[in-house]
Amino acid sequence: MGNRTGWLRGVFPALVTPFDPKTEEVDEEAYRRLIRHVLPHVDGVVTSGTTGEFPYLTRAEQRRLVEIARQEVGDKLVIAGCGASGTAQAIALAQDAREAGADAILVVTPYFLHPSDKEVYQHYYDIATRVDISLILYNIPQVVDAVLPRSVVEDLADLPNVVGLKDSSGDLTYTMEILEYAGDRIDVLVGHDEVVIAALAAGVSGMILASAQVYPEVWQEVYRLVREGRLEEARALQRRVQKLSRIFCRHGGGVAVKAALNMMGISVGPPRRPLKSAGGALIHETRAEIQLELEKLGKIPVEEQPFAYPSGLLETRFGDLELTPEVIRAHGLRLGSGTAGEGVNRVQLDLVAGRKDTPLADAYALQLTYPLRGREALTAILEPGLTVRPSTLLLPTLPQKNLRQANMIYGPTQLALGRAIVDALEAGVISAQAADDEIMVVLATVHPKALDRHALYRSVYEAARMAIAQAFSG
Amino acid sequence: MGYKTDWFRGIYPALVTPFTRDDRLDEEAYRRLIRYVLPHVNGVVPCGTTGEFSYMTIEERKRAIEVCLDEVNGRVPVLAGTGCPSTRETVQLTEWARDAGVTGVLVVAPYYLKPTFNEVYDHFRALDKLGVPIVIYNIPQCAGTHFRWWTAEGMLLDLENVVGIKDSSGDMPFLEALFEKVKGQVGIFVGHDEIVQAALAAGCDGAILASANLIPDIWQVIYRATLEGDLATAQEWQAKIQKLVRIVATCGPTQAVKEGLEMMGIPVGVSRHPILRGGSFRREDYEELRMQLEILGKIPPADVVYDLGGREVATRVAATPHTPRRVSGWDLRVGEGFAGPPFHEIAHIDLLIGRRDGPVGRAIARSLAGWGEARGLKVISERPLILLVPTVTIRTGRQRELFYQFAAEGIMMAVRQNIENGFLPEAALDDLALIINAFVHPAASIGRRVMLNNYKATVQALRKAIEGRPTLEQLFEEKAAARHPFRYAP
Repeated sequence: MGNRTGWLRGVFPALVTPFDPKTEEVDEEAYRRLIRHVLPHVDGVVTSGTTGEFPYLTRAEQRRLVEIARQEVGDKLVIAGCGASGTAQAIALAQDAREAGADAILVVTPYFLHPSDKEVYQHYYDIATRVDISLILYNIPQVVDAVLPRSVVEDLADLPNVVGLKDSSGDLTYTMEILEYAGDRIDVLVGHDEVVIAALAAGVSGMILASAQVYPEVWQEVYRLVREGRLEEARALQRRVQKLSRIFCRHGGGVAVKAALNMMGISVGPPRRPLKSAGGALIHETRAEIQLELEKLGKIPVEEQPFAYPSGLLETRFGDLELTPEVIRAHGLRLGSGTAGEGVNRVQLDLVAGRKDTPLADAYALQLTYPLRGREALTAILEPGLTVRPSTLLLPTLPQKNLRQANMIYGPTQLALGRAIVDALEAGVISAQAADDEIMVVLATVHPKALDRHALYRSVYEAARMAIAQAFSG
Repeated sequence: MGYKTDWFRGIYPALVTPFTRDDRLDEEAYRRLIRYVLPHVNGVVPCGTTGEFSYMTIEERKRAIEVCLDEVNGRVPVLAGTGCPSTRETVQLTEWARDAGVTGVLVVAPYYLKPTFNEVYDHFRALDKLGVPIVIYNIPQCAGTHFRWWTAEGMLLDLENVVGIKDSSGDMPFLEALFEKVKGQVGIFVGHDEIVQAALAAGCDGAILASANLIPDIWQVIYRATLEGDLATAQEWQAKIQKLVRIVATCGPTQAVKEGLEMMGIPVGVSRHPILRGGSFRREDYEELRMQLEILGKIPPADVVYDLGGREVATRVAATPHTPRRVSGWDLRVGEGFAGPPFHEIAHIDLLIGRRDGPVGRAIARSLAGWGEARGLKVISERPLILLVPTVTIRTGRQRELFYQFAAEGIMMAVRQNIENGFLPEAALDDLALIINAFVHPAASIGRRVMLNNYKATVQALRKAIEGRPTLEQLFEEKAAARHPFRYAP
């Protein structure tokens, strides 16, 4: 009964297409290296899918990718992405794929001109009846801007060579509906990296994922564990890659996958234009986050950085601000220090406050003219547009090596400091008069490997509370 | 079958409902507001969407309508908002309004539970029996239900007391379909501030607008000009207020109008929670709205003295209730500004202003003599003395261009404008020095956005530094809900 093949199951990475950074030509050697990297952990590969930037590839290039994959994967599956906006192009791609040795084709819902249900049905019908190859339907409303209608899938499942559907929507209500209406006849594959376990548990046969080329072994293990009913272990495993999977799905797509592979030493080059390697859909801040997550997974080595919390008498710690112990005493500047948190979330704050007619004001103004590389001073705020009072500069004591480190300072640290100051004001620890007449500079020492924003926020808040109490109590 | 009345035409403000500091209906403020708009309008709407009807009890709505009727005293029509989610409650309130003497009722599509079109139709049919003129009200942004032309046509032509429709969707094809189907048989009002001139020119009979609380006079000019066929004048005025009304229409209308009125010296309190200061109507929107009202001459001027330590400079500026009349402490005044989107073209300004012979001037002199060139510092103005500092190290030619050309020009636009409007008084320019630390994202592309965002962020930073904002009261009020964008992981 039906078209379920028995072979369309397991883990399939939707391969990126490597390009030469200068010429934007397909880098065939890099493609082979990528396939060899994933092959031990997968049941096959998908060429020129969405992650493979298929709309930017020529017909000849797509065919060549299938040929290479066929040569590399042995008896594992080659699934050829044959997506096109128009039916004739899709048929041509499907014929190419068949001749080049693909086992199946993956055909995305026709996009751009928004054909109706009937037209979508006919699109698939024409491909399935003209080309003798197993066909996998493909629902990905995020880029098509339309859902592949369930009623259409229900009917297409009756065609003998329609063998499966890849659902990248992440919408489990859709997956359940397809399983209900067509699950007896075709295999459903999950295509959304964030919901893999839920979909597997619901009864899908496998997965086609962008992230399956970054951590194929994780998905191979998740797949096995779920089949064995060991859900607790599967959940724990997926949770380790949840953030990266989310980034790949929602914060950069194939560009983010390429960034990760390049960081791991599997060079795949940039995306084709108009996409940018970073600074477009993948923002620099997220790229820094990818690096951090790959470090956590042991996919890239962790850079060691010499590091120590400032020590010695508090009044000697403000040399960067040209505030010597003598100056501090002569102008009655207030000092306070606080330390809180455990391990890499341990934070030290050293605070100096004083009137605007003291050398502290000169130091404050000077700091804003002196962009120390990686140690830029910023105004303490609760959020952009809401500065705290007394006006306070936050100055990291360690150079920030990358945007991820910077984000720890200029996000959680900045906010926690701001909140502690405003809370102290409201509680009367800092007087309303001081809010007008005084300014503060806070030297913040945050561990270079700090990565838990929530823990860091709490450490900074507590350290700031202590430092403020010391400085303003008397 | 519905009918067309003589009174349902022209400009109607959707009145905000003033609340006192302890959150009660502020009847005096409501009367003042009505007196302010009345000379310029053809009718008023109490308890519409902008009037926060959905945050008011039935008793409060009744009282607001009573006060409105009393203050208007028959001079213009009163079209009262009486819509509720259920038919039962809507009927009760509408019946009450009829007996209280309103000219008509404005009834929003029943919202939240998303009834189907036939359920909506029967809702209005139930109201039709009450014998009071009804304006049906399409506002899908809030109600979650969008009339179709064929459902609207049915209600407009089948029901005998329906005298018109207010469409706030901003959906011009929908309005055009209404003109095709029902024009001349019922009144058709536009309720989306951004397309009023186009909608009037295309055939609308009038407009019910949030922004007509702020600028009823200008809307009246646009309405009159359109009636007289003077499209050029109407277009010119719409363009002049376009930014203002875009802010009102898209950034939280209730709070935007209320804060705008406060700036103009017509205090009406703030919106009820969950609406907050600095929420949907963001702080940067506040600053922009202020600038627009200022340009239109809607913010009354006041004399302000800058005590520069040893010498005083008098100036006259468009002052809000938060503008201090005397500003001292010119050793160091700190301001911060933020403007975006788009993400990569966001501007963030840390600004210091103070006397040239104080910490700010000394820091500029020292930095120029020392690391100025190596660190990319640049003096971009001599009067006042302004040192521009890049927050992020400049590495590429494109970054250099975006920073020194586009961002710097935006900053100077803000400075020139504030010299002109008196916040940087000519007589103080020789005394003042500024350090402006500006952030341009290394991946920024769009030069014009970089320029305009830096202009906006600088205006904010400058005004906040001079006026000593945020106030402590504001900090305490807003600290719990503050959400720093970099606090969270992707």
